[in-house]
Amino acid sequence: MGKKIKLVDICYARAGDKGDISNIGLIAKTTEYYDIIKSKVTPEKVKDFFGDIVKGKVEVYPLDNLESLEIVMYGALDGGATGSLRIDGTGKPLATALLRMEIEA
Amino acid sequence: MDVKKVSIGSGSLMWGDIIEPGLEMIEKADIDYICYDWLAEVTMSVLYIQKTKNKDAGYPPRFIEWMKKVLPLAKQKGVKIVTNAGGANVEGACSALKEALNANNISGVKIGSILGDDITSDINNFRKEGIKFTNIDTGEEDIDRIKDSIVGAYVYLGAEGIVECLEGGADIVIGGRLADNALYVGPWIHEFGWDHNNSQHIDKIGAAITCGHIIECSCCCTGGMMCSQWDKVPEPWNVGYPIAELYENGDAVITKTPDTGGIVNSWTVKEHLLYEVHDPKNYIMPDGIADFTTLKLEDAGHDVVKVSNMSGKKRPDKLKVGIGYTDGWKQELQHWFCWPDALKKAKHCEYILKEWLKRQKINVEKIEIDYMGFNMAHLSLVKIPDIDGAKDLPEVGIRICAKFKTKEEAEYFREHAMIWSAPQAGYVFNTTTAPAKPVPIIKLWPTLVPRDAIHIKTDIKEV
Repeated sequence: MGKKIKLVDICYARAGDKGDISNIGLIAKTTEYYDIIKSKVTPEKVKDFFGDIVKGKVEVYPLDNLESLEIVMYGALDGGATGSLRIDGTGKPLATALLRMEIEA
Repeated sequence: MDVKKVSIGSGSLMWGDIIEPGLEMIEKADIDYICYDWLAEVTMSVLYIQKTKNKDAGYPPRFIEWMKKVLPLAKQKGVKIVTNAGGANVEGACSALKEALNANNISGVKIGSILGDDITSDINNFRKEGIKFTNIDTGEEDIDRIKDSIVGAYVYLGAEGIVECLEGGADIVIGGRLADNALYVGPWIHEFGWDHNNSQHIDKIGAAITCGHIIECSCCCTGGMMCSQWDKVPEPWNVGYPIAELYENGDAVITKTPDTGGIVNSWTVKEHLLYEVHDPKNYIMPDGIADFTTLKLEDAGHDVVKVSNMSGKKRPDKLKVGIGYTDGWKQELQHWFCWPDALKKAKHCEYILKEWLKRQKINVEKIEIDYMGFNMAHLSLVKIPDIDGAKDLPEVGIRICAKFKTKEEAEYFREHAMIWSAPQAGYVFNTTTAPAKPVPIIKLWPTLVPRDAIHIKTDIKEV
């Protein structure tokens, strides 16, 4: 068992929206951290972390060249920017929300 | 021998952007084109509704005001303009622009227009021909459920119309739902003579798509919106807008207007490369499919980033369509409470609201209740503290947003807000803003249409 790390300490994140899909660019602060997030930030873990916020599937795509992950979350915006009742229907804060997640490094 | 390069700047990322950085760029930077993106998913739906109410509306009038200032300067500097500010009414926008230019004695401007993105009235015929508008997000097979509440349907167009207009000598090209990305790819394809069907040009068009993606959100890649170095941006009140210099060999340089604030480095570019992308190997645009996993970013001087090894695949056979449809009304309310027992009072407000709702005939289809300062942004990931542990909070707000089938129900709800907001002594009565009015909910149905079913029409008129 490794030590627990919070993503906020090793990553930056930025979210965008398309329809009811939220995507988060998760950017590792260093190469070493990229190796960690690439193996530990899995679709299952992200889906489980967001609970009732993300209704659909989660996909995670690695970009080795940018030492980043693209995380795509379906049914994540309460119906999408135009239909959502949330204060931010585009889900920009979901990026920093993800940084609350802990992984074992 | 020098490799030919064509420089394109970004003048705006949406309706709400500001005019000055684009003007400053045209004045100071060595650019060939400046592109103005004015549309978002939300914007298109709003514009379609405006057009339904008034056939002359459906484009942002503010854009016409901008062009009175931008066009004379751009013309003088030899900079061409490409925009999707025609919104839901390209013809209306073009005639308003002509009138404005005439009224201001601005002449010698060729206005190119692109029609064909609005397929609202074609949907039924397409369906009769057997085309299904499957929802690409949810998989729902066709639009039967929403067909009677459609406000507008538009295709995300690629570069062709832009190229045609530029070939015809247009100084400004105005389209409706041109894909943001196509605003940039169009001029590059035109200038370099690239062909969507020539295998030698596919990676280069991929490079154009990638560069367009990097700069299309204006200040977002120059320090105007950053997650990594937001506190280190020089002169954040004066952020320069981005410029992509694309070379004929498919390499590029990203920079910004000289002598401005803001910042361009591999972090700012990297951040924006990841923005609103799904599968990064397949960034699907009408002009091609860019692969963001092959490219290399390199800091190459002050506010200069080199981008190399960009690649792509052939453009898709289908184009994306956005269908906007009405789906009831939403009403938002915000109430604030102050010390002592601010949180307890906010909770009491929620309690009264829920009890009141149980006793009403209005039907709340959905309701979101957030505690401002706690869980409005991160939702259920944040636990609201126990009342006993939060006795001394100076103030707490509660935000309520409810969805109704009818506007009347939403208004009834709004009119009764004092029932749950006022009983708690310590309610902060907001004398500066009235409560928001009911807002129609326009939902988006993302779908596809075969490329060969869509026919565009371009036109050029000189003022």
